[in-house]
Amino acid sequence: MAVYKRRYNPYTGSLTAAWSRFFVLTRFAFLDLFKSRFFVLLLILAIVPNLFFAGYIFVANNKTVQLLMQIRSADFLAVETQYFIIIMTVQTNVAFLLNCWVGPVLISGDLTNGALSLFLSRPFSRADYVLGKLAVLSILLSAVTWVPCLLLFGLQSGLARNGWVWSHLWMILPILLCSAIWVLMLSLMSLAVSAWVKLRIVATGVIFIAFVIPAALGEMFNAIMGTYWGALLNLSYMFRIVLERGLRDPFRLLAHMGRHEIPVPAAWAVMILVCLFCLVILNARLRARETVRG
Amino acid sequence: MMLPTIELEGLEVQLGGRTILHGLTGVLKSRAIGLLGPNGAGKSTLINTLLGFHKPIKGSARMLGLDANTNGKALRALVGYMPENDAFIAKMSGVRFVRYMAEISGLPPDQAMERAHEAFVYVGLGEARYRPVGTYSLGMKQLAKLAQAIAHGPKVLILDEPTNGMDPPARKRLIELIREIREASDICLLLSSHLLRDVEETCDEVLILRNGKIASICNLVEERRANRKFLELETVGVEATFTAALEALGCECAIFSNGRIKVVMPDTVEIREVFKVAADRGVQIRRMNHRRDSLEDIFLNAMEQTGAADGRI
Repeated sequence: MAVYKRRYNPYTGSLTAAWSRFFVLTRFAFLDLFKSRFFVLLLILAIVPNLFFAGYIFVANNKTVQLLMQIRSADFLAVETQYFIIIMTVQTNVAFLLNCWVGPVLISGDLTNGALSLFLSRPFSRADYVLGKLAVLSILLSAVTWVPCLLLFGLQSGLARNGWVWSHLWMILPILLCSAIWVLMLSLMSLAVSAWVKLRIVATGVIFIAFVIPAALGEMFNAIMGTYWGALLNLSYMFRIVLERGLRDPFRLLAHMGRHEIPVPAAWAVMILVCLFCLVILNARLRARETVRG
Repeated sequence: MMLPTIELEGLEVQLGGRTILHGLTGVLKSRAIGLLGPNGAGKSTLINTLLGFHKPIKGSARMLGLDANTNGKALRALVGYMPENDAFIAKMSGVRFVRYMAEISGLPPDQAMERAHEAFVYVGLGEARYRPVGTYSLGMKQLAKLAQAIAHGPKVLILDEPTNGMDPPARKRLIELIREIREASDICLLLSSHLLRDVEETCDEVLILRNGKIASICNLVEERRANRKFLELETVGVEATFTAALEALGCECAIFSNGRIKVVMPDTVEIREVFKVAADRGVQIRRMNHRRDSLEDIFLNAMEQTGAADGRI
C-alpha cells in the first residue's frame, strides 16, 4: 500500500502470535540502548574482564607458555571452584553497574507522558509489559554473568585434561541458579525503581541506596542486639552466601573472616522476597489509569 | 444480525471508594456514537471501563458483543484508542512511535512500518514524522495520537476528547478526518467530547451522561429524519392568548422570560399562519429564528431533567 494514497485503509494482513508481542518491547529497548555510545562502551568494559579470565585459563593449562613466561605452575591458582567464584563475583558486580545504567529508564519513559495507557489499550497485558521490559535486563545481565562464565567453563574443559569436565560438571547448575536469582533480583529492583522514580540519576541513586542503607541498618542491628541476623538485609552478602555454598567453596571467604553465616535457605528466601516485593510495587504502579482515593 | 456497538447492563463502577457510574443500562446500535456530558459525568470512566481499565462492581459493558471484563483482550484487539491526556514517548520519532504501537497490536514489523508512514501522512503530519514526538505542538500530538489509534486498522475507534487544545482550522481538519475514516470503512466510532458540534458532525447516536447516569440516548439520524421544525420568537404583547391560539393550530409552545417563545410546528402549519395569529391577537413579533431541533436542545433537555431510575435520569 503506497504512502501517497491519502485515505484510510483497514488492515487485512496477517498478525504476529500474541505470545511473542512482549518481545517488541525488548527489541525496541535494545535498539534505543545501542544508540548510546556510553552504553556500548559500558558493555565492552563489562566483557573485558572475561578476556583476562580466558587468558589466565589458557596460560594455566599451557606448559609451553608458562615456560616461555618463566613462571611455575605452583604460582597459579588452580582453575577450580574458587576461580569460578572469583569470575562470578566480578561479573555480578559488573552486572550491577550495567543494571544501574540501563534499568532506571526502561519504564519511566513510558510513564512520564502517559504512554502506558496506549500499551494497555491493545491486546497486551501488564504481565506482557513487565515481561518485555524484564527480558531487556535479563538478556543483558545474562550476557555478562552466566553466559561468559559457562564459556570460560567450556574453555577450561577443553584445555584441561584428565576428565576435568566430568568431575566439575555439577558446577553448571549452581552457576546458572546463582546468576538467575541475581539477574532476576537486580532486574526487578530496577524496574520497580523505574516505575516509581522518573529521573535517571535519582533512580540510579535509589538502586545504590537499596543495597547500602539496609546493609548498614542490618549491621547496626547486629551490633546493638548482639546477633548476626541483621545481615539478612545485606543483599550482596546474601548472594555471596548462596554463591559460595552453591559452588561448595572450601575456602569460604566469609567463614574465614570469622563471621556467623546465615543459613542458605534464609539467603534464598530474602532474595525471593525482594523479587516479590518488587512485583508488588510494579503491580501498584503499572496502571492504565491512576485512581485517587477520596 | 448485526451486534449492537455498545451494550450496558446495570453497569456500576467505583473508583477510589466513590461510585462513578450508577447502574447504566442501554443499547447503542449505531456505527458512530457520541458520548456527551459535563465534566465529571463519567464519560472517560465509561470509556476506560469498556477498555477493561476499570472493573465494574456490578453489571456488564459489552462492545460488539464482547464483554469488557471477561473478554477484555479480544475486545482490545478490535480497538484503536486515542486518549484524552498526553500519551506518547517523547524521545521517539513520530513514525517510530506509531510503528511501535502497531507492532504491539500484532502487525509484523514491515507492515507496521508501512502503516505508520501511511497513518502519519494521512493525518497530515507527513513532514514531521521523523521529529521526536516530544517536540510536537499540542495539535500535532493530538494527530499523532490519532495516527497510532488507526495504524493497525481497528474495528472500533475510541476517541476521548479528540479536539482538545486544537485551533479552529485544526479542529475542522480533525473532524473531517474522523468523518472520512468513518465513511471509508465499516469502522465503529465512539467519540467523547464536551463540544456538541464535534459530536453532531460525526455521530449518528448520542449517549448523554450526567452525574454517572444516563440522561438520554438519542438517535440523531432519526431525529434528523423526523425533521421537527422550531421557531424561536421574541414577542411583545399577551403571550398566553397567542400561544393558546398556536396550540389550537397543532403547535407545541414553550414560554420563556422576556417574551421569548419556542414553537414546535407540525408540517401542516405554515409560518404565515403564525404571523396571522399574532396580528389577530395584537402581538408584535420582534424576532424570529427558524431552525430544526439541534443536539444542543436535546442536550439541554437532558441536563434539565431530574430523577433517577435504572441508571437513567
